[in-house]
Amino acid sequence: MKDFDAIVIGAGNGGLSAAVALQRGGMQTLLLERHNIPGGCATSFVRGDYEFEVALHQLSGLGTEKQPAVLRHVFDSLGVTDKVTFIEEHHLYRYAVPGVIDITLPASVSGIVQTLSTEFPEEADAIQKFMDLCEVITLETYMALPNARRSGDPDVLKRNCRNFVKYGLKSTQDVMDEFFISPVLKAVLGGYWGYAGQPLDRLPFSDLGVMLYAYAAMKPWHIEGGSQALSNALLESFLEAGGDVRFNCGAEKILTEGGGVSAVRTEHGDVFTCNQVVSNASSVLTYNQLLDRPELAKNAREDFKSRRMGVSGFVLYMGLDCTPEDLGLEAATNFIATTIDDKQQYARSKGFEDPLGCLFTCYTVGDKTMAPQGKSVAALMCLQYGEPWDSIAPEEYAATKFAYAEKLIALAENVIPNFRQHIEEIEIGTPVTMMRYLNTPGGAIYGFDQTIAEHGAVRDRVRPVDGLHLAGSWTGMGGFQPTYQAGAAVAASILRKQNTKGNAA
Amino acid sequence: MTGMDIRSVIDGFDAARSRIEDMVQDGQDFADVPAKVAGRINALHPKRLNLVVSDVIVETATTRTLRLTSPDGGLPPFLAGQYVNLFVTVDGVNTSRPYAISSAPQDRGHYDLTVRKIGQGFVSPYLVDQIQPGAHLTSTGPMGSFYVNPIHHGRDLVFLAGGSGVAPAISMIRDIAARQLPVRFHLIYGSRRSDDVIFDAALRDLEDQHDFLTVTRVMSEPEAGYKDRTGFIDAALISDLCTPLDRKTVYLCGPPAMNTFCGAELRKTGMPDKRVHIEANGPPVAPQLREGWPDTTSVDQSVTVTVSGRGSFQTTAGEPLLNALERNGYEAENACRSGECSLCRVKVLSGEVFSPSEAKLRQSDRRFGWVHSCVAYPLSDIEILL
Ligand SMILES: Cc1cc2nc3c(=O)[nH]c(=O)nc-3n(C[C@H](O)[C@H](O)[C@H](O)COP(=O)(O)OP(=O)(O)OC[C@H]3O[C@@H](n4cnc5c(N)ncnc54)[C@H](O)[C@@H]3O)c2cc1C
Ligand code: FES
Repeated sequence: MKDFDAIVIGAGNGGLSAAVALQRGGMQTLLLERHNIPGGCATSFVRGDYEFEVALHQLSGLGTEKQPAVLRHVFDSLGVTDKVTFIEEHHLYRYAVPGVIDITLPASVSGIVQTLSTEFPEEADAIQKFMDLCEVITLETYMALPNARRSGDPDVLKRNCRNFVKYGLKSTQDVMDEFFISPVLKAVLGGYWGYAGQPLDRLPFSDLGVMLYAYAAMKPWHIEGGSQALSNALLESFLEAGGDVRFNCGAEKILTEGGGVSAVRTEHGDVFTCNQVVSNASSVLTYNQLLDRPELAKNAREDFKSRRMGVSGFVLYMGLDCTPEDLGLEAATNFIATTIDDKQQYARSKGFEDPLGCLFTCYTVGDKTMAPQGKSVAALMCLQYGEPWDSIAPEEYAATKFAYAEKLIALAENVIPNFRQHIEEIEIGTPVTMMRYLNTPGGAIYGFDQTIAEHGAVRDRVRPVDGLHLAGSWTGMGGFQPTYQAGAAVAASILRKQNTKGNAA
Repeated sequence: MTGMDIRSVIDGFDAARSRIEDMVQDGQDFADVPAKVAGRINALHPKRLNLVVSDVIVETATTRTLRLTSPDGGLPPFLAGQYVNLFVTVDGVNTSRPYAISSAPQDRGHYDLTVRKIGQGFVSPYLVDQIQPGAHLTSTGPMGSFYVNPIHHGRDLVFLAGGSGVAPAISMIRDIAARQLPVRFHLIYGSRRSDDVIFDAALRDLEDQHDFLTVTRVMSEPEAGYKDRTGFIDAALISDLCTPLDRKTVYLCGPPAMNTFCGAELRKTGMPDKRVHIEANGPPVAPQLREGWPDTTSVDQSVTVTVSGRGSFQTTAGEPLLNALERNGYEAENACRSGECSLCRVKVLSGEVFSPSEAKLRQSDRRFGWVHSCVAYPLSDIEILL
């Protein structure tokens, strides 16, 4: 008799949703978390009168109550939909490059087509066609492609996934070039590249197309109380179902027997036996450090060589003593840059030179509860790899952080003048901060670099140890929607196998 | 032998697969990465520090500076104004108290903690009266957000200190001097009597050496014949010394009563809250006087705390839950013991708990029953998840 049917390591999005699904599916589950709070990235913290969302900018894939989409179904099955309040955002994003363009896209496919067709009338047809393509590629990616792959028949794949076959693994840049003439139009429609962490010429089109469509058709959402509310709700659901949780309790080793998992040892030395382990820690940590016999994961480590450490972020969490209106903000999500060239912007993520592009998210536009009346919370972020921080000596760390924050503020003030004078509270998160709280190599926030070679349709699954499963951004796409879904999917596959075994016995 | 991969019909699939093969050539298996991550985090934000008391400096009759060094080598850097939480065992109880670092961040060989003995205190008398050189102590790494933030604090800084609240101030002053920062710093320091002034000589030296610094001493219970400023640090005194206030940033660190009083006085001067930074200083001294405490509950009321799956004990409504847990042999992570850092977060499964305004709870924590145990008061029998 094992202590638990399953042990989940890490209470991030993937770990939480896996734990809830397993426990609700009837498996006695232990959830281990090294911090004192569930959520991983999906958390918030309080300074003075303000509560700061750490990571969630816009939640995709939810759909409306009337037209629920995939993620709402997942939340329903996890028992959390009624435990949180979702707030619909009415704008997709504002895209502003001073002297070039300043445009706000509404949160609907028809609205996007209309807004962009007014701005770029000569390309109106192409805009419509492009958005149509985003829609079909989304449907193919989620429905037709998995079915076709299961069929094993290349003709089925060709027939049922025509658009994916043609465009899915092309670079977003190539597809944009095929559809559009204006480089400004391409830049505006490609605005979300930052959410995937790769510039358009390295980002598979299906990633951007799906993201754009998912936000436009299923709406971008905020959560009242931030993503922490959802993390707390998931934990509540887990406890209600009878799950066991330990906080301040990191997993130290995954123990194996005969090539399959047998137990987990915690940092406090307790050993809990089990047959299934879901690790929400990075694959790098799971296979290289947690696994008691790393030689079991030889394949996985060979596979690592074909991957590159993903990007992290540099974030300013700010409490401002003014309203969004005072700052002239209509949309919560503002992509701000001094050039439309995403490649140049991306290049700056590898060092400390002045950033050229950033994201200013003002949560108070939709959610008035995170700041006192008349005030706002905002997060100002740019992409940055962890690597440049490796060469910063500990005693230089603070000065480096403040100096880079100055540059980021200066960049954003090109579009939101003088917001600095409104700063009442500010906290800075660097890639090292992300590393500390997420325990990911390089502070990576979306897993490995999500290039075309990283795409799920290109990769084969590596599963070196029986009963050891990964759930999170390291085995699929990073971001909120993908990781919630990944956790639920891993749990579903474990439960499926368990039930077949149970029936056979 | 498997046949052709059906995915080859996808444009770009074969190219991506051969790209993967190329990447393997100059890729790595990240085998050394977990250790690097751990080392990096530990250098900046170690969870615990092993410390040895290398010296005990007598500052005043009631105050000692404990000079702490690391037997493991260097100490992590900190920002002047930050604190560490010092773990101690007093009368068999494992507990801790936060103390600001009073030495300069540039002195990487040691941290100085300057501790003033509190009359009714549990830990400070032990630290002041019993700690000798050679003693081993454990602490958290440096933490807290009470420091000079170059982004929005400006260049004209005022620090209102009371008693041991001068500890973070002198660290800031030493830091500004070492880095030659282009700021002005006015320390207004309240003490009871002149023999109560901590760092008196050091402050005089610093003031002589540096133009950026002004120190004003204020005595609340002056000895006969004291010539300088006396009384409390109130609105009139602040306005008198600091006008114009409109571009200044004010730091406030003193005993709880002083923080409350001076906070209100600052408001009278018209100083916006935005430019006033008040350091935390423990749980409220009288929680029953706070808004929301029910009239029907006395601080002495006996309540039972059940720690889910582990046991239960008796305590009183007026004792912070964290203290009660520690007295009864339970350990909960903690650092600020003032409601701010959230490390002592626990879930209340049943019963009623009072959280004063010190508890910087997340919105959803309130909804799902999480409290900060260092400033949580059980008003009824409760069950918690630890
Ligand atoms: C960030 C930070 C930095 C600090 N820096 C310094 C510093 O540099 N130097 C320094 O000397 N101090 C500093 N302090 C204060 C220090 O942490 C201790 O609070 C102080 O030493 C008193 O500890 P104690 O154990 O002696 O007193 P405690 O036993 O904690 O008692 C303190 C007061 O609270 C009252 N009290 C005790 N228990 C209860 C209860 N159950 N209910 C209500 N009231 C109670 C006591 O009667 C007493 O008046 C700092 C505090 C913080 C939060
Ligand atoms: S110890 Fe910091 S909030 Fe309780």
